[in-house]
Amino acid sequence: MSITWPLFIQVTLRLLEGFETTCLIFALTLVLALPLGLVISFGSMSKFKPLAYITKVFVWIIRGVPLMLQIFVVFYVPRLIWDLPAFSRFNAVILAFVINYACYFSEIYRGGIESISKGQYEAGQVLGMTKTQIFFKVILMQVVKRIIPPMSNEIITLVKDTALARVIMVAEILKVAEEYAGYALIWPLFYTAVYYLAFVGILTLLFGFFERKLSYYKV
Amino acid sequence: MAFLEVKNIKKKFGSNEVLKDISFSLEKGEVLAIIGSSGSGKTTLLRCLNFLEKADDGVISVDGNLLFDGSDRSTTSDKNIRRKRLHFGLVFQSFNLFPQYTALKNIMLAPEMLLKERAKKEKLSAHQKREEHEKIVAHAKELLDSVGLSAKEKSYPCELSGGQCQRVAIARALALSPDVLCFDEPTSALDPELTGEVLRVIRNLKSSDRTMIVVTHEMEFARNVADKVIFMSDGVIEEAGTPEEVFDNPKSERTREFLNRPGF
Ligand SMILES: Nc1ncnc2c1ncn2[C@@H]1O[C@H](COP(=O)(O)OP(=O)(O)OP(=O)(O)O)[C@@H](O)[C@H]1O
Ligand SMILES: [Mg+2]
Repeated sequence: MSITWPLFIQVTLRLLEGFETTCLIFALTLVLALPLGLVISFGSMSKFKPLAYITKVFVWIIRGVPLMLQIFVVFYVPRLIWDLPAFSRFNAVILAFVINYACYFSEIYRGGIESISKGQYEAGQVLGMTKTQIFFKVILMQVVKRIIPPMSNEIITLVKDTALARVIMVAEILKVAEEYAGYALIWPLFYTAVYYLAFVGILTLLFGFFERKLSYYKV
Repeated sequence: MAFLEVKNIKKKFGSNEVLKDISFSLEKGEVLAIIGSSGSGKTTLLRCLNFLEKADDGVISVDGNLLFDGSDRSTTSDKNIRRKRLHFGLVFQSFNLFPQYTALKNIMLAPEMLLKERAKKEKLSAHQKREEHEKIVAHAKELLDSVGLSAKEKSYPCELSGGQCQRVAIARALALSPDVLCFDEPTSALDPELTGEVLRVIRNLKSSDRTMIVVTHEMEFARNVADKVIFMSDGVIEEAGTPEEVFDNPKSERTREFLNRPGF
């Protein structure tokens, strides 16, 4: 089948609908997993050892099991085992993604926080600052600067991981393209790369902008 | 009672007795130099005074305020620890400036935090807050000027030399007007040609109402600037007295050995 303009436009628009879902998964995951990751990192650094231990085991499991499997678990397990009302497909995807990415982010946060020298905390302490003031006024900005490169990597991976949503039939962009393939129309599958590349390109520019913004000081 | 009273301070790390019964006192405006070999407990002593470490036993009082008493549980808890810390200032060997803030902001940060808390508690009006803030800025600029760095107020620590960083750190420690300002080897991390400017600044700080404790390996500085010198060895005060007494007529064999080490 040759590519005609009307067909091209039709495919472009259909893929755009799928891409909306892709973006929605991406954005919701990011907005929820960024703060949740911080909470988890505090848990894994807790002085209360049992909490630190449980958190670390949890992070180990989440990072050690394929995300695809986690999506299946969230979607199927509640109703198979406990007979609970199922999550909608979309909500199951979001839940699985948020937990998974929060765990990855938490390790990046932890690495960043632990890389700040003890002297920074002590300088704040001898100046009579509270723990909260020290964290937010002294430590946080230094952590942010340090974790931008690894976070950029993780966030770019998230863009492409959204494609896993199709395993429980959520119609993100790749799923839509696959439907065309079912009708022997293959090129839309490859065409999706344009959407991903554009998205990642914008993100790369954004991260570069933040890095430059914070380049006025060295940690 | 002296301005600063330190009595029978003891501190162990595990089974390692780092401070064994340290006592000394200091009058207001006096400068105390602490010398001693590596590992003798000098840093640990300063950290106990600044409540970065909790002494196991002993008494610390400043200007008649009992801050710590090992036998009185109410003074050893972390309650009010921030208040207590404000009696002391500490200048670190490695400066520990906040890299994301300019020199001026480094000095202003802690006073700003205190103002913020006060404003909330006393319900200061926006106008009062602004006035108080202006005072903080003016004071910070004065301090920066007093360490000879007015021109660098907008510079970030990474744009300053080691000596300049340490001078900013000194100004920062002075911003809250501590009763006793402690220095832990303030020039040890500096190239030799930069130690002079920092020592000069510390010498100029000497005044009737600034009490200072300086841990240092700069014997000339200790001799010329200090009113009292303590030689520490192995967690005890081996020798204490005026610079003349300690440097010219040391009574203890260990002090003599230390002062006659090659390289000094
Ligand atoms: N947090 C700590 N935990 C365990 N041991 C410590 C700790 N801090 C210091 N020590 C030990 O206490 C002893 C005294 O250390 P301190 O840093 O007070 O010596 P110092 O006189 O400042 O030496 P230097 O001249 O090298 O700075 C050393 O044996 C050191 O190993
Ligand atoms: Mg030391």
